[in-house]
Amino acid sequence: MTDSKYFTTTKKGEIFELKAELNSDKKEKKKEAVKKVIASMTVGKDVSALFPDVVNCMQTDNLELKKLVYLYLMNYAKSQPDMAIMAVNTFVKDCEDLNPLIRALAVRTMGCIRVDKITEYLCEPLRKCLKDEDPYVRKTAAVCVAKLHDINAQLVEDQGFLDTLKDLISDSNPMVVANAVAALSEIAESHPNSNLLDLNPQTINKLLTALNECTEWGQIFILDCLASYLPRDDRESQSICERVTPRLSHANSAVVLSAVKVLMKFMEMLPKDLDYYGTLLKKLAPPLVTLLSAEPELQYVALRNINLIVQKRPEILKHEMKVFFVKYNDPIYVKLEKLDIMIRLASQANIAQVLAELKEYATEVDVDFVRKAVRAIGRCAIKVEQSAERCVSTLLDLIQTKVNYVVQEAIVVIKDIFRKYPNKYESVIATLCENLDSLDEPEARAAMIWIVGEYAERIDNADELLESFLEGFHDESTQVQLQLLTAIVKLFLKKPTETQELVQQVLSLATQDSDNPDLRDRGYIYWRLLSTDPVAAKEVVLAEKPLISEETDLIEPTLLEELICHIGTLASVYHKPPSAFVEGSRGVQHKRLPPRAGSGESTESPDVGQSGPSEAPPAVIPSQGDLLGDLLNLDLAPPTATVPSVQPSMQMGAMDLLGGGLDSLVCSSPAMGAGLGAAPAAMPASLGSAPAVGGGLGDLFDLGGGVGMPTGSYVAPKTVWLLAMKAKGLEISGTFARRGGIIQMDLSLTNKAMSVMTDFAIQFNRNSFGLAPAGPLQVLTPLSPNQTIDVSLPLSTSGPVMKMEPLNNLQVAVKNNIDVFYFSCQYPLSLLFVEDGKMDRQVFLATWKDIPNDNEAQFQIKDIHLNSDVASNKLQGSNIFTIAKRTVEGQDMLYQSVKLTNGIWVLAEMRIQTGNPNYTWMCWRRPHVRECVSQNDSPVIS
Amino acid sequence: MISQIFILSSKGDHLIYKDFRGEESKDSISVFYEMVTALSGDQPPVVMSHKGLHFIHVRQGGLYWVASTKTNPSPFTIIEFLNRLAALTKDYCGSLSEKSVRMNFALIYELLDEMVVNDFGYIQTTSTDILKNFIQTEAVSSKPFSLFDLSNVGLFGAETQQSKVAPSVAASRPIMSSRGEQGGKNEIFVDVIERLSVVIGSKGVLMKADIQGEIRIKCFLPTCSEMRIGLNEELSIGKSQLKGYSSAVRVDECRFHQAVKLDEFDTFRILKVCPSQGEQTVMQYQLCDELPCAPPFQLFPSVEKDYVNRSVNLSMVLIFLKLRCDLPPKRSVFILHTSITPLPLSILYSMSQELSSPDQTAELQPKNKALLWEIPRFPGGAQLSALFKVDVPGLSSASLLEVGPVSMSFELPKQTCTGLQIRFLRLSPTQTGLSQRWVRYVTHSDSYTIRI
Repeated sequence: MTDSKYFTTTKKGEIFELKAELNSDKKEKKKEAVKKVIASMTVGKDVSALFPDVVNCMQTDNLELKKLVYLYLMNYAKSQPDMAIMAVNTFVKDCEDLNPLIRALAVRTMGCIRVDKITEYLCEPLRKCLKDEDPYVRKTAAVCVAKLHDINAQLVEDQGFLDTLKDLISDSNPMVVANAVAALSEIAESHPNSNLLDLNPQTINKLLTALNECTEWGQIFILDCLASYLPRDDRESQSICERVTPRLSHANSAVVLSAVKVLMKFMEMLPKDLDYYGTLLKKLAPPLVTLLSAEPELQYVALRNINLIVQKRPEILKHEMKVFFVKYNDPIYVKLEKLDIMIRLASQANIAQVLAELKEYATEVDVDFVRKAVRAIGRCAIKVEQSAERCVSTLLDLIQTKVNYVVQEAIVVIKDIFRKYPNKYESVIATLCENLDSLDEPEARAAMIWIVGEYAERIDNADELLESFLEGFHDESTQVQLQLLTAIVKLFLKKPTETQELVQQVLSLATQDSDNPDLRDRGYIYWRLLSTDPVAAKEVVLAEKPLISEETDLIEPTLLEELICHIGTLASVYHKPPSAFVEGSRGVQHKRLPPRAGSGESTESPDVGQSGPSEAPPAVIPSQGDLLGDLLNLDLAPPTATVPSVQPSMQMGAMDLLGGGLDSLVCSSPAMGAGLGAAPAAMPASLGSAPAVGGGLGDLFDLGGGVGMPTGSYVAPKTVWLLAMKAKGLEISGTFARRGGIIQMDLSLTNKAMSVMTDFAIQFNRNSFGLAPAGPLQVLTPLSPNQTIDVSLPLSTSGPVMKMEPLNNLQVAVKNNIDVFYFSCQYPLSLLFVEDGKMDRQVFLATWKDIPNDNEAQFQIKDIHLNSDVASNKLQGSNIFTIAKRTVEGQDMLYQSVKLTNGIWVLAEMRIQTGNPNYTWMCWRRPHVRECVSQNDSPVIS
Repeated sequence: MISQIFILSSKGDHLIYKDFRGEESKDSISVFYEMVTALSGDQPPVVMSHKGLHFIHVRQGGLYWVASTKTNPSPFTIIEFLNRLAALTKDYCGSLSEKSVRMNFALIYELLDEMVVNDFGYIQTTSTDILKNFIQTEAVSSKPFSLFDLSNVGLFGAETQQSKVAPSVAASRPIMSSRGEQGGKNEIFVDVIERLSVVIGSKGVLMKADIQGEIRIKCFLPTCSEMRIGLNEELSIGKSQLKGYSSAVRVDECRFHQAVKLDEFDTFRILKVCPSQGEQTVMQYQLCDELPCAPPFQLFPSVEKDYVNRSVNLSMVLIFLKLRCDLPPKRSVFILHTSITPLPLSILYSMSQELSSPDQTAELQPKNKALLWEIPRFPGGAQLSALFKVDVPGLSSASLLEVGPVSMSFELPKQTCTGLQIRFLRLSPTQTGLSQRWVRYVTHSDSYTIRI
């Protein structure tokens, strides 16, 4: 007799037959019939017609039959709610059965029947079962509360089940505790604001005790719950860590990972100089290594988690490089993950070993893996400077094999190595050029073209090479076309005599025969640059490029912190925050690592920071990365810097072009004025930017100028900081203002998506002046599609301080129910000028004399038609105070003082020549502050 | 938390389907099957998502064991659970196949109910001890056939009872055999299984050596009594514990099943466990970067290029392999697969070979760019050699660099590389002589690579 025969019945009238059998008197026959019904249900047949007959079988003493009937009920009760009521009586009776198994079974099944009418009847039995004498029943009932909450949350609250559930945390049976915790955690997740899981040292203690006694699965629930607790101090956090550590040697990898999560989180609170901190680091390595001996599926999940851990705390696994070496029989997805971790762990100490491995991998069979291995060699070169030479020679060896895809990958990475170490390895160009013909992938072609263009002066036949590419220009991908255009322009600027024809050819191809706007626009920019001012063109196109760094592929720090809080969950496999893939309200609240106790990060000795790249690398906000990427492609690194030297008649035209192509650049500066103002700061010799700004700012000047009294500080118009397309429909524009001594960030949030946005929050990265939100972002009502809300966020200057580049750069993260978005903006320094910045005359004189000459800087501000009094009044509105004034030979000299929020004084002298619209402004004090002050002046004074 | 669990056959037939939370419809099964079959090689199959539903699956016994979820649970939990479910199914049904799952569907539903207790997808227990109190259905055992019935009975040596050898299929029968009758054999199997991964560099240097081992118990005793497993007394754990130059058996790290009591472990190296019925891993251990014995194989390769006909640039690769087995002469290795990948092959190929004995075979697999050399039995201390000539048109000397590493897979019976032994196996209170105890040792190659 086997069950499999049930699957094979397909006769007609089968339902009828079953019906007869179900109503049979014989128990055995009944049981067989129910089994048949369940079998049909499994393969997807509709047997709901048998509902009353099956329910009739429910009243039986036979547990096996009862279980089968319950199975059926759960499946069909939803589609037959009226019928399901028939079963209620039996359920209620079963809940009082002598056998605890039956009591539990009944409560469990009732909870699974998601029919409103039944839930009403469920309350009484459930209340009894929650206080049942048998732990098996209690734990089943605990979970049942969560089920009921999912169906009808209000009912659960009204009936007071939540309090009973909370009491169960102190139950004597560990399994009951674990289930109560699991149920509470789930309910709490759907109600982020209720403090259901109100954990305090006492409950934590109970949980830790239960942890040692319950089953492995229960341990997971408890550990996950512990991870959401925030210890009050480092002592408490250490004692929890000590009690969780034994879990690391558990055979169940899920327990291990949950324990790792708790430790990683609480470690954050331990001072780094504590002995225990070091001990803990050592204890974390072996369990992580052991995970790699599991099945490939578990290995993969483990590797994704290790990838996060390595980024957060590379010191844990720095000696374990060898375990990440690839085995030949690993599945490909495991191999790729291992490779990634190998590079993250690569350091000067182990680079030789790593390179030898990578070289072996590069000759394996699997194409994807080989490609990734070749890329990895390039990443090593960029990460570990000492190894660069060896990497390059390894890559050259690989190119010798002439295996097509190896050669192409090698060329792509060699391009990056050139970018990182300019003028060091160009001797290999000859070898690369030999392989020109074998390149058929766009990325490799583009890389090769870039190399030829960049080093055109060292390649004798560069023009021939590029010309050969030009023949099939229209068949190339955009990437290659853009690169070719740039390369030929570079070539032309380097060897203008021989290549005039070539450059004309490519410009006409790009501008006239192409439909691609990017290509066309870039073509036009080059064309105009070349035709108006070749010198400027040279400065633009051949400008020095910023170096690339290995940090580009790191996960952004705030995201990393959040993911660390989700170790051992799906989020850690996807490397996305849960809000990105979990629907509804569940799991949306963002978890954060606890702040480090005791010594703040800033006081840590710098050598600790060197041990890993993840110690607060400030420059890896994605928006900046994009920006950098754009610039790299465009080869237009400092485009604004060159604008002033272009002929004035050209200026507006060039502006248009640049404005179109460089959206991202413009939107990252707080205002057009400030953005262009950066130019004179970088090139003090040519101070021509003011006219370009003047037009826009003249209005402002008119408004405030005639009044002749303090009018409050200058507020720049709002600019777009975050584009809707980059932020899933959320557009943010804003500006900064100082009102009544309070710094405010004025934001306009626009919802350009189709769905409603809620749950806004904002956070700043550490910045030069410690700006931080003084309160939460007040967006009370949900933002419906196409709606715009204006918000003023008061800021304080008591946040953590870190020097930014440029000084007034501010990196902001904004969160809503959809995702977290990052952007950076710059605030005018005048924001930080405080009201009591008026220096005493005597002090001013004394300080003035003491300032060394090299702290002095001069700037000119043009086209300001103000007399000195009005100017001084206006400046006072921005907290720039005039201390004294004297007139020498028709020149008014104003002596001014400014105090910044962090207590730095800036002293300045302003010369105003009557009749001459140009002001000369000199200021003194700290060298790096001064540049920023100066660039902010022009908008303030006008 | 787990939303649904289903088991599919390799062809996509629904064998078991259970919905725990009523969040998703049954259509997700076919969605899953489409996704998993359409997956390309380098995409990780473990976690897949479709419209907010996430599938996590493992493959065991040719079946897909799948869990789906809508929240953000721990994939470790789910994978562990699915593996455990498969193991339990095997315990209860005897073997793991489409047939046995079909035959025992009611039992599996019951198992699932009790494990996940239906309870909203919260996993409750996977211990057979607890489960057997709840499980009512009886298992239907399929005929004890096994594809893996390797007739090499020497595979598992029984050290405690030298004369008798347990057949390798002895352990694959349901644990809950039909009350009484023939199934009442009170047997307990203790297996020490080690997996060896070794990388030997081109100059014969040992570059990496890891051993992962486990002690596994399969218990058929109906009543569980306490069992004491004595390991080598000189076993030391961790790097710091090395005592002088004694020939201690050493492991780096070990993990234990939570039912194991360790109060006698520190001093006497005795594991105390009350084995529940079925299979369980009592202890897992590993040793990294060190091999207590010499690696079992040494390879002396040479790869050369030769011209068949220089004028048309028809060249061939000469591969000469000399393989030595460094085991003691009494031992021997079974089924040694040696493969060389990649070879610089293009479409045209042919190969001639000279092997040292007729029972060996060699084969060229142009698709995988591989050369496979199979040795059915390799006695310890012996040395075998083979010469392969592969015609490769248009071979450049650089492409010889490409000739890849040699990887071997093999099985060393009756032997552990760490030297871990089971001194004794005692059941207390002493059973009435009915119980049979078996101890078996085996070392598998996990990844044994020799670079050329």
